[in-house]
Amino acid sequence: MPEKPNLIAMHINYKIATKAILSDIDISVHKGEVLGVLGPNGAGKTSLLKILSGQVFCQGNVFWKQKNLKEYSEMQRAQQIAVVNQINDSVFSLNLQQIVRMGLLPHSSLISRATPDDILRIAQALEKVGLTEKTQQTFNSLSGGEQQRGLIARALVQRADLIVLDEPVNHLDVYYQHQVLQLLTSLARSLNVTIIMSLHDVNLAAHYCDNVCLLNQGKLIAKGTPEAVFTTKQLSEVFRLPCAVTEGASNKSFHVNFYPPYQTDHHLTKGDC
Amino acid sequence: MNKKFWLLCFFAIISVIVGLFFGAADFSNRELLSCLVDSCSSEVNEMIFWEIRAPRVLVGFLVGAGLAVAGATLQNVTRNGLADPYLFGVVSGAGLGASIATLLFDSNFAESMGLLKLFPEISFSLALPFAAFFGALFSVILVQLLVTRTFGSKTEHMLLAGIAVSFMLSALSHFILFMAEPFAANKVIFWLMGSLARIETWYAWVILPVLIVSVSLLLLYGRHMDALLIGDENAKTLGVHVGRLRFLSLATCAALTACIVAYCGGIGFVGLMIPHIIRHWLGVTSRTLIIGCVLLGGAFLVWVDVIARIALPDQEIPIGIITSAIGSIFFLLAMRQRNT
Repeated sequence: MPEKPNLIAMHINYKIATKAILSDIDISVHKGEVLGVLGPNGAGKTSLLKILSGQVFCQGNVFWKQKNLKEYSEMQRAQQIAVVNQINDSVFSLNLQQIVRMGLLPHSSLISRATPDDILRIAQALEKVGLTEKTQQTFNSLSGGEQQRGLIARALVQRADLIVLDEPVNHLDVYYQHQVLQLLTSLARSLNVTIIMSLHDVNLAAHYCDNVCLLNQGKLIAKGTPEAVFTTKQLSEVFRLPCAVTEGASNKSFHVNFYPPYQTDHHLTKGDC
Repeated sequence: MNKKFWLLCFFAIISVIVGLFFGAADFSNRELLSCLVDSCSSEVNEMIFWEIRAPRVLVGFLVGAGLAVAGATLQNVTRNGLADPYLFGVVSGAGLGASIATLLFDSNFAESMGLLKLFPEISFSLALPFAAFFGALFSVILVQLLVTRTFGSKTEHMLLAGIAVSFMLSALSHFILFMAEPFAANKVIFWLMGSLARIETWYAWVILPVLIVSVSLLLLYGRHMDALLIGDENAKTLGVHVGRLRFLSLATCAALTACIVAYCGGIGFVGLMIPHIIRHWLGVTSRTLIIGCVLLGGAFLVWVDVIARIALPDQEIPIGIITSAIGSIFFLLAMRQRNT
């Protein structure tokens, strides 16, 4: 008997004032799955992530481990779900260690002190994201990529079963894009942590995500494996650009190229639109 | 941090002891030491030392500590380094509450209107801090509402809302005093500049428990307050009840400011300066900040009070004049640093 999905979102409808942001979206995500959320700007990716992580409630239901997210207290939700939002500066120059240490908050009482295990967990998380040398540096003085990795380290310390990340590789160079995504997929494989993240790069999503969902104008266009979703027809319609999908030897090695809209005489290969 | 922390403790204790050496009455060092460790040589000296000088130093320390803690709390909760009980209208709100209490319980107006007969059981000294608390709470809520509902939460909007509320509530309280008191000028000066000149021992027994409870609460929620520093949205994802925590912190801040303003008047800029110095010197996390503010804020006001007592011969300078003079320079430097 197949395992039940850990996260089930049903009939998600979200409006801001009278504008529909998300319309009738159904998504299910299994334990240990890496799900990529893709779509053009304004498609509703960030709103969807906020709803799936319980930051925003709307019409429809989101169940995490068979229990409606609305029934979790804020603290219970934080024990289960870690969120890495897009970067915003911290005030008063907290250092990296202090930011990462905040991941302990959902698991500690008002009077508890950090145990040696907690200290070790913080050190290991910082090591995993390659920031051991920068623990005492103020968060604001770190580069965008380092800040992003610092927030991922905080999510690791939070010991959550679901990590929701809004554009986690946005500020990173190519090396760290791969390093962070490798780290996230390895977490999913080794610890059975469920990962949901929004991405802009179709090729990175194809390489690292087990499943992807494609959003456009608040509607779920397709959900499934990258090979099934990233067809030239769907991608060109959603991103409004001509594209070519080059198939490689393995499932994970196909490649998508987008072309400028005026470039109509590019060399077409199999699968071009 | 440990070494710096103990250094600060030592500085605070030394400040309190040194503060006892200054005052209008001429005590020899030997007499002072004798008063401290045993008893004074005469009953008059005993009375001056234990009923005037020691309470003044003690209350001065508590007032400085309380204002610095209130400032640090306001700054952390609003994520705004320029927040301060004075600039945010909390002092004016407390002043308005205290003025209303004066009007109802302790004025010619109250006597002529027969108000004193309406509340015979409520003493003025009891009503004063409560009225100041509700006034302070009112101003905090008003500034927050203006910022969140009307102006937007940019730093400059927050400051402008605070200053506007501060002026509005000050005008109201001065008008009330003017209407109720034939010699209102003295009381207006007291609210504007603050003073430790009329301190009585029992003031300490009102301010001390409020300070202990406030500091304990803030230390308890210190880690949650740290989470606020990375934004409300991020704090919520860490399980922090942002609205509840903000209300608790602001109410604590209002209580601290209120009981200080009720007895010592408005003393500006302590809450702005001290938290910045502590952040720079000791650290930025809320628990470190709060403890540092208690020690340095207290010591700072003891020294300011010493200057107030000895700067002019046979005359005292209102303490708020000195804190405002130092604070305004600090404020300008802080603004300059923010822009560079």
